[in-house]
Amino acid sequence: MRKLIGIVLALTLAFTSVAISTAQEGLTICFGFQDLETEFWVAGHRAITQTLRDQGVEVLEFNANEDPNRQLEQVRDCIAEGVDGIIIIPQDGDSAVTIVNEAQDADTPIAVFNRPPNDRERGIIVVADNEIITEQAVEFMAQKALRQYEITQEPITPLILVGALQDTNAIGRRDGFFNVIARYNERYPGMFKEPIEVATEWDAATALANLEAAITANPDVDFIFTSSDFLFPTIRSVLEPRGMWAPTGDPNHVIMGGLDGDATACMLIDQGYVDATGVQDLFLEAELTLSGILDAIEAGDYQPNAVLPDPGFALTAANIQYQRSDMWGCVLYDEGFLDN
Amino acid sequence: MSAIQTEHEPQTLNLKRIKATDLATSGSLSDRLVRWGKKLLLSDYFILIVSIIAYVIAAQFFDRLARPLNMTNQLSNMWPLFAVAIGQTFVLIIAGIDLAQGATIALASVVGAMIMAENLNPDMFDKLPFWGSILTENGGLLAGSPIATPVAVIGMLVSGLLVGLIVGTLITRFNITPFIASLVGFIFFSYFALWLTQSRNISGLPESFVNLGDSGELISVYFGPKLDPEIRRRDILAVVTASTVITLGLAFFAGYLLNRTIFGKHMIAIGTNPRAAEISGVPTRRVITLVYMFSGLCAAVGAILYTARLEIGQPTLGGLNLLLDIIGSCVIGGSSLFGGKGSIKGTFFGVVFFVLLGNILDAAQMSPFVIDAVKGLFILIAALLDYTRTRLVRVEQST
Repeated sequence: MRKLIGIVLALTLAFTSVAISTAQEGLTICFGFQDLETEFWVAGHRAITQTLRDQGVEVLEFNANEDPNRQLEQVRDCIAEGVDGIIIIPQDGDSAVTIVNEAQDADTPIAVFNRPPNDRERGIIVVADNEIITEQAVEFMAQKALRQYEITQEPITPLILVGALQDTNAIGRRDGFFNVIARYNERYPGMFKEPIEVATEWDAATALANLEAAITANPDVDFIFTSSDFLFPTIRSVLEPRGMWAPTGDPNHVIMGGLDGDATACMLIDQGYVDATGVQDLFLEAELTLSGILDAIEAGDYQPNAVLPDPGFALTAANIQYQRSDMWGCVLYDEGFLDN
Repeated sequence: MSAIQTEHEPQTLNLKRIKATDLATSGSLSDRLVRWGKKLLLSDYFILIVSIIAYVIAAQFFDRLARPLNMTNQLSNMWPLFAVAIGQTFVLIIAGIDLAQGATIALASVVGAMIMAENLNPDMFDKLPFWGSILTENGGLLAGSPIATPVAVIGMLVSGLLVGLIVGTLITRFNITPFIASLVGFIFFSYFALWLTQSRNISGLPESFVNLGDSGELISVYFGPKLDPEIRRRDILAVVTASTVITLGLAFFAGYLLNRTIFGKHMIAIGTNPRAAEISGVPTRRVITLVYMFSGLCAAVGAILYTARLEIGQPTLGGLNLLLDIIGSCVIGGSSLFGGKGSIKGTFFGVVFFVLLGNILDAAQMSPFVIDAVKGLFILIAALLDYTRTRLVRVEQST
C-alpha cells in the first residue's frame, strides 16, 4: 500500500513540479519542430521562441523527433487546445502538405518555417531558394576548380553529400550542385568526372559511414559539397586521417563548400578549409514567419496563404570580408557561439 | 470484447484466490487499505488504472487534457500503435523479439504507394529503379483503377507477411537468434525501402485509401448548440473511424488465436520452455515462423493506418522511436521479454499508457530537451511496478 501511495504521490508531484504557467492573456502559438541537432535549427528555434515570448505570446513547443506522424498528432493536439496559430518545421515536404491541410481545415492559421511543403498553395511558407543559393556557392567552387584544371589538366573528382530526398530543400541543393557541374562540363568538356553521391539522410552517423566508404573507394576526390554545413565536422573526421584536410594554398586542399551559413562554416572559411557556403538568412526567415502568422491572426484570417522568399546569398573566401555581418553564422561565431 | 477479456494469464486464478481471502478477512481501515492496494497492484487492470489516475490528476493542472477533441485525438493515436503492438506481443510470448517491424512498416508503406499513387512528377521520380515500368507520370502500377486501393492493401499485407517469413525462417532454419535475425531484417528492409524510392516520399494516394485512416469517420459527434448553419470541422469529434474498426477487428482475431486455439497454446508452450514444447510434439519451427509472419502482418496493418493518415508512402516510416514505443507498450502491458507471458488486453493497456503519457508530457510543456528523459523515467517506474507485481504474484502462488 505504501508503494501505491508513493506512486500516486510521485505522479502528483511530478505533474505539479512541471506545471506550466497558466494561460496568459493574449495569443497562444504552437511551435512544432523536428529536431535541434544542427546549429541552423538551434538558432532558428531560439529566434522564433524568444521573439514570440518577448512579445508576450504564450508558446507551446513540441518536438516530433523526426517523426512526421508524431508531428501530425502534435498539431492535432494544438488544434484541440484551440491555439491562435501554428508554426512548424516539418520533417519533409509531403507530410507538411497533410499537416498544413489539417490545420487549415480546422480554421487554424499555420506557417511553415524553412522546409516548404511540396504544395505551396496553402499556408504561409517561408523558404529560401535552395537551388539558386547552392548554384552560387558551387559556382565559386567550380571557378577555383577550373583554375586547378587549367594548370594540371587533371579532371576534378566531385562529391556531394546529399540530404534526405523527402526534403525539398535537399532536392533543391542536389539539383543546384548538378546544374553547375553540368554547365562546366558543357563549357569545359572533361573538367569534372561523374559526381559521387553520398547519402546522408540528414544524419551524421550515416554520412560518416557512407563518406568513409566513398573516400576509400575514390581517394582522388578533390571537390566536396555538403548539402548542409552541419556535416563539416564529419567531413573533417574522414579527411584528416588521410591528409586531405588542408587549408587553401596547401597542395592537399580539397575544394569544399556547403549550405546553411552556420557558425562552423564561418570559422572554417576564416581558417581556409572551406571555400564557400550558401547562406540562408535565418533571422530574416524567422522574422517573415512571425510577421506572417501574427498578421494573419490579427486580421482574423484562418487560412492565410503566402510564399515568403528568402533570397539568400553565397559567402565565399573572396567576399567574407564584406558580407560577414550578413551571415547569421558569422554573427553567432563572432559572439562566441562556438567557444563553449 | 469477450475474446480480449478472457485471455490466458496465470495470474487470473491467483487473483480470484486473493479476492476470496480478502472477503473472508476484515480488519482496521489501514488493513483494508493495504489489501485494497495489494488487490489493485495484482489486478490485470493495474496499468490501465494507473494511466487513468495519472490522466485525471494531470487534467486538474492542464485543462486541455480533458477537452473532448483532445480525447478523440488520443484515441486515434492509439489505433495504429496498437495494431503493430499486437504482432509484437505474439513474438514476445514465444520469447522472441521483432525489430524488423519498423522496416516492415516502411516497406509496406512504399509498396502500397507504388501500386496506387496517382500522378508522379518525373523531375522527382525519374531516378527511381522502377521508373518507366511500375511507376510512370500517371502514377503507380494501378493508378486510377478502381481496384488500386484493394490491390495496394493486399500488396502491403503480403509484403509484411514476406518480411515475417524471412525473419522467421532465419530463426528456425539457420538458428539465428531472434534479435540478430530481426535486426538484419530491420536494416535490410529499411534500406530496401529507401532504395525503392531513392529516399523520396510518394504522395497522391487515392481518397479511398486515405479514408482507411482517421479520415474515414464512421461515427462522429458534436456537442453544443447549433447556432450556425454550418458546424466547424474542428468542433466535430470523430469517435469511431475506419482505423478503429480495423484495429479492433485485428485485436479480436488475435485474442481468439491466442486464447481459443491450439496455436495459441503452442505459442505459450514455446515461450515457457521451447525444449519441453518440442519434446511434447509442438511443431516449434512452424509456429515460430507463423508468429513472425503474423507480426509482419500486424506491422503492415499499422503501415496502412499510418500511411493513410499521413497520405504519403514514406520509406522512413517506422523508425527507431516508434519501435521503442511498440516494444515498450507490450512490456508495460505485461508481456515478458523472456517469453511465455503476454496478452492482447495487457498490450492495449500498455498502448493507452504510452499514448496518455505522451499527451500529459506534451501538455505539461516540459522542455523539449528533457521530455523524452522524463518519459523514460515514467516507463522505468511502470516497469518497476510491474516487476513488484510479478514478485507479489509469485509470493501469493507459493503461499
